[in-house]
Amino acid sequence: MEQSTVTNSRLGLSGLLSAVIPGLGQFVRGQRYRGVAILLGFLVMLATVVWYKNPLWYASPIAIWLWNVWDAASARQRSILLPVLFGLLAAYSIGWRVVGIDFSKADMNRARMIVRPMLRPDFIQERRERNTMWVPVQVPCAPEPPKAVREDGGKKATAIPDCGPVGETIIVSVSGMWPNTETNVVWQNPIGNSMMLGEGETSMLVLTTDENGSLTTAIRVPTTALVAAPDPTLPQLHRVYFDQYRPIGGYELSFIGNEVLKGALATVAMALIATVLAVLFAIPISFLAAHNLMSGNPVTYAIYVVVRTLLNILRSIESVIIAIVFVVIVGLGEFAGALALAVHSIAALAKLYSEVIEGIDPGPIEAIRSTGANWVQTVRYAVIPQIIPPFTAFTLYRWDINVRSATIIGFVGGGGIGFLIIELTRVNNMRGLSSVFIAIALVVVTLDYLSAKLRERLV
Amino acid sequence: MSSLFHSTLIPCPSPNWREVGVRAEWRTIMLRIQNVTKTYPNGTQALKNVSFDVKDGEFLVVIGLSGSGKSTLLRCINRLIDPTEGKIFWDNTDITIASPAELRNIRRKIGMVFQQFNLVKRSSVMTNVLSGRLGYVNPWLSLVGIWPEEEKKKALQSLERVGIADKAYNRADALSGGQQQRVGIARALMQDPKLILADEPVASLDPVLSHSILQYLEQLNKEGITVICSLHFLDLVHRYATRVVALKDGVKVFEGSAQEIDRAKFKEIYGEEAQEVRAASL
Ligand SMILES: Nc1ncnc2c1ncn2[C@@H]1O[C@H](COP(=O)(O)OP(=O)(O)O)[C@@H](O)[C@H]1O
Ligand SMILES: [Mg+2]
Repeated sequence: MEQSTVTNSRLGLSGLLSAVIPGLGQFVRGQRYRGVAILLGFLVMLATVVWYKNPLWYASPIAIWLWNVWDAASARQRSILLPVLFGLLAAYSIGWRVVGIDFSKADMNRARMIVRPMLRPDFIQERRERNTMWVPVQVPCAPEPPKAVREDGGKKATAIPDCGPVGETIIVSVSGMWPNTETNVVWQNPIGNSMMLGEGETSMLVLTTDENGSLTTAIRVPTTALVAAPDPTLPQLHRVYFDQYRPIGGYELSFIGNEVLKGALATVAMALIATVLAVLFAIPISFLAAHNLMSGNPVTYAIYVVVRTLLNILRSIESVIIAIVFVVIVGLGEFAGALALAVHSIAALAKLYSEVIEGIDPGPIEAIRSTGANWVQTVRYAVIPQIIPPFTAFTLYRWDINVRSATIIGFVGGGGIGFLIIELTRVNNMRGLSSVFIAIALVVVTLDYLSAKLRERLV
Repeated sequence: MSSLFHSTLIPCPSPNWREVGVRAEWRTIMLRIQNVTKTYPNGTQALKNVSFDVKDGEFLVVIGLSGSGKSTLLRCINRLIDPTEGKIFWDNTDITIASPAELRNIRRKIGMVFQQFNLVKRSSVMTNVLSGRLGYVNPWLSLVGIWPEEEKKKALQSLERVGIADKAYNRADALSGGQQQRVGIARALMQDPKLILADEPVASLDPVLSHSILQYLEQLNKEGITVICSLHFLDLVHRYATRVVALKDGVKVFEGSAQEIDRAKFKEIYGEEAQEVRAASL
């Protein structure tokens, strides 16, 4: 009876201590780890709630505090399920707010504007024949401008007046073109940049020739005609182009399609070069990182620890981040990307290789040694056959991963197809993007399949 | 040094002593183990002052508990392990001080068969068997994997002798345990060995297979190859051994004929606690 009173008063005391400082009661009772954990949990909870200032969330630290007092004042330990649940609940609602989950933000119209062109990827086009003609126009006017008339193989183009400043209206006409055919009228500045002449200079001016193959239209010298000119007051010859196209049967790669194909090849090649480079370095390094080879004496063991640590650090940095560094060092392009992929791969491969080396079966080595083979023969017949298949499998797997990384390394200027994504996004070319996505998917899936198949045969 | 071999009495015309009935003590001593001690770097004394002779044509069985030093002893003979002290004589040369080149020449005359077979699992059976010949062939050609036709023929013959020529181009790990051990024997045969060291060659196999493997070794022994073999089961010892050496904690505790080992002796070697475990094999 008396003893239980003592116990009760003790429990009361530890409850009181925990009420003042959460976890103190438990700590004093000898549950050190539990006490510290409670205090830390409570403080973190309190700090987060105060930081994000939402009165409702105060429920969570209060609940933890109450539970802590209850736990300290109870003879047996209370389940930590309750405070953990409160903590998770608060963390989740804070996360909800931080992420800003808001489905009402989704704009169906914009989604449609993007998705619809994506359904028609820009990769191949009908093979077309081009019929073109141009006429020179001087901007701005010199005292004696050249005549804006040009004849070429039965075609004739004229502009009136012969010259003009930016914004001037000019009547252009062409004859001798294909009759009844859609014709693009385009401005081209002296360095070869094209400008559109349609509404607001953001769309193509498209007209149809009459039955004689002639057309006449008024255009305005584009406001951007002189942006590239070193001296806007210096008269220079620009051109007005009349372009017609007609199908000649069959299909060909479109301009974007061509770029996508080049980008995809560059990506695979970049990954390949990076992987080969990485293998060359990873093989010797892996021997230094193999525990069974290096744990013999303190010096080699120290080397082992240093190498392992460096590899672990290097491996934890994504290749895209390493690429940022290399873009600065060697400039934009595939080379920077390949170097970045190589550095990350060296670390990853060296670790995998070293694990292979650690797993070598010593049995065959002593068997081959016992036949009277010399050292090189022993390596050739007992070690190499054991490590080549897993090395190759890991290397293929790495190449596969590198191709995936190479597709996005262009985001930071590392070359490959990722660079194309940035370019196409900038000009809002959804059809082009769509074919890039398809190309990436095809490349990745194909390589994934191939490397899996090859690896299967190796094990 | 040659005085060591004064017991060389008769150069025996037929290698098949057991059948001819040449008295054991007349045969040539081919191997002399002299005060061999092995202390591992961690301080374990695996062999303590072990001495015995092996005569030409013997089927010498080494017995002893697990950890008694059998594997260490066999590996000291071809110096896969360097003994700490003592000498091992082979053909008038002390193996323990042989130069690397001499050692390779000695090793290629000593075939070895292992409990775990120790085949290169991913290589073909053929390559595994051919590798037994590495001590003889041109090292450069062997490095690029080129083998003379006659060596390939020899390898197929070796495989035929152990009855698995049809498996020559299978991967080694596609074979059953018994078949793998036969590949191990074929590999040893490629060495044209004068001596075969067999370290518990049947400990990973079931009893029926054990007999088939040991019969191959017995056959080779009858054809003149000396065999030193460590074994665990008394019935196998009685059946195959011409002489027995027993180790206990690295010390040689018995040397004599297999018949001298009865239950009592076996119990003495293996200790009281081994009695039940071994009962089945007695
Ligand atoms: N590489 C090694 N390093 C240290 N001790 C070893 C090593 N190999 C074997 N030993 C020890 O030496 C003793 C004899 O081992 P071993 O020759 O393998 O015996 P057996 O083959 O009879 O089982 C054992 O106590 C074993 O633990
Ligand atoms: Mg052993």
